[in-house]
Amino acid sequence: MNDTWGISGPTFLTYFITAGLAIAILAAVHRKALFRGTRGATVDNLGPQQVAYLNGGDRLAVYSALGGLRAAGAIGTGSGRTLVQSGPLPAGVTPLDSAIYNAAARGVRTRDLQGDQWVASALEQLRDGLERNGLAVSAGQMREARLWIIGGLALIVVGVARVIAGANNDKPVLFMVFATIGAFVLTLTLLRSRRWATDVANRSMRDFRYKHNYLAPSNSPSYATYGATGAAMGVALYGGAALYTMDPAFAAEAEVQRIAATGGATGGSSGGDAGSGSSCSSSSSCGGGSSCGGGGGCGG
Amino acid sequence: MADTPPPYGVGIGWRPEIAGFVEGLPGLRFAEVVAESVHAHGELPPGLQVLLDRGVTVVPHGVRLSLGGAEPVDPERVTHFAAVAERLDAPLVSEHIAFVRAGGVEAGHLLPLPRTREAVDAVVANVRRVREQIPVPIALEPIAALFDWPDEELTEAQFIGEILDRSGALLLLDIANVYANARNRGTDPLELLDQLPLDRVAYVHVAGGAEHQGLYHDTHTDAVPQPVLDLVGELSARQRPPALMLERDGDYPPAAALTAELDAIARASGYPSVT
Repeated sequence: MNDTWGISGPTFLTYFITAGLAIAILAAVHRKALFRGTRGATVDNLGPQQVAYLNGGDRLAVYSALGGLRAAGAIGTGSGRTLVQSGPLPAGVTPLDSAIYNAAARGVRTRDLQGDQWVASALEQLRDGLERNGLAVSAGQMREARLWIIGGLALIVVGVARVIAGANNDKPVLFMVFATIGAFVLTLTLLRSRRWATDVANRSMRDFRYKHNYLAPSNSPSYATYGATGAAMGVALYGGAALYTMDPAFAAEAEVQRIAATGGATGGSSGGDAGSGSSCSSSSSCGGGSSCGGGGGCGG
Repeated sequence: MADTPPPYGVGIGWRPEIAGFVEGLPGLRFAEVVAESVHAHGELPPGLQVLLDRGVTVVPHGVRLSLGGAEPVDPERVTHFAAVAERLDAPLVSEHIAFVRAGGVEAGHLLPLPRTREAVDAVVANVRRVREQIPVPIALEPIAALFDWPDEELTEAQFIGEILDRSGALLLLDIANVYANARNRGTDPLELLDQLPLDRVAYVHVAGGAEHQGLYHDTHTDAVPQPVLDLVGELSARQRPPALMLERDGDYPPAAALTAELDAIARASGYPSVT
């Protein structure tokens, strides 16, 4: 009996698992370094939309702006899920607010907002500032972190090849099948993880969130009392669900998804998954892999 | 009075819905929280903890003890009430002169007692039971009544006075109730004010209300009407209470409106603005 490829099963399995662990550890270390952020940077002086971007990317930044504009009575929904202007633009708004307000005049739908060129450019501006301050992870950094996916893919290819070769060689391949599944899970994890905030930002966000706990939906905050900024910050910190607490009719009409705000929360990624999972089951608009937000920020 | 705390000025009822607003009041020294909404041993809501850390006095306000019930107060409820008072390090606690359950049936809200000597006995006995477990003074709040029971033996002032005298409790005066009761009965609110033991007032509730089908309802969800603010002025001119607090329980207005109400109470009472 010849060993498949001249390497014994147990030896190959050991190499394979070692390689998988190495990729996982190196990717984690690399990410740690990439996503560290600028020491001393803080989210304390950020506006709601910036906080929203760190917690949920472009889409949450847009939702936060929607929350503020809605609380100010500036926008509403028209026929066919489109946004409409329903009042004057309040003073002291951000470029993103203006861009969305103008898009509302053209009857743009919420889900198409990020594709609007003015909205997209306002988001880019927002993102650039946060990246410069070491609070946001850039697309370049995200791309770099995802290079390890290549390692994961290579592992899967080798694993599958080994299983096929082994089976043809009448060798037991069950452990190898499990190991290959492991490599698949690892690769998927590397592929799926998307974050916007650096570690510094996340740490600072924890205190910030505690300070703004009064905006948590569990307190049924009075948005009338907190005003437009409070509404925007509520969405920024507690996700699309806050918009439903504030104005369920508007949120439903505008097809706002109950995405969770992940940053700063412990076990945030699982919360994010749960949030997007539930929104997908209730809406047909996310079939096209919209977890990337469509903003081109997925690292290619 | 040795029992009476030093003046706190204008305060507000802490509610989770407006916790952020309350936290942002720079001059606040007095707040009240519904006792049953606080976990006796778990973590306090962050907004409440912030107030305590700042040295704001937070008084637990019970709504479910049913002091006016014919049966003794539920010992478990008293234990919780005592634990909350200790948790908040409160210098006093408060409850209502009312009953919320009878014969095991929950009414779901505060019901007025008939003003009889028997009712006085029941309340006094229950207050004594509470005081056995809670070392700090208790203030009792007479409630607004849209109706009077038949065959009452005591006037409202006599009823309240007797309970306070015999139980050693302080008075939590709801000035909007005084207004509501007088208005709905067609009597003069000042008359009642003059008969009450104002030196025993621990603090005062100031709430809003609205007129509905000819009756004034103490809703706590509307703005404080001018006549109630005028009554605050009359009260403060007679004997200014150590603290007066805005009691708002729903339909919260924009921050500016709450600020204006707090300032109006401060002006009427002569206390400094807390906003």
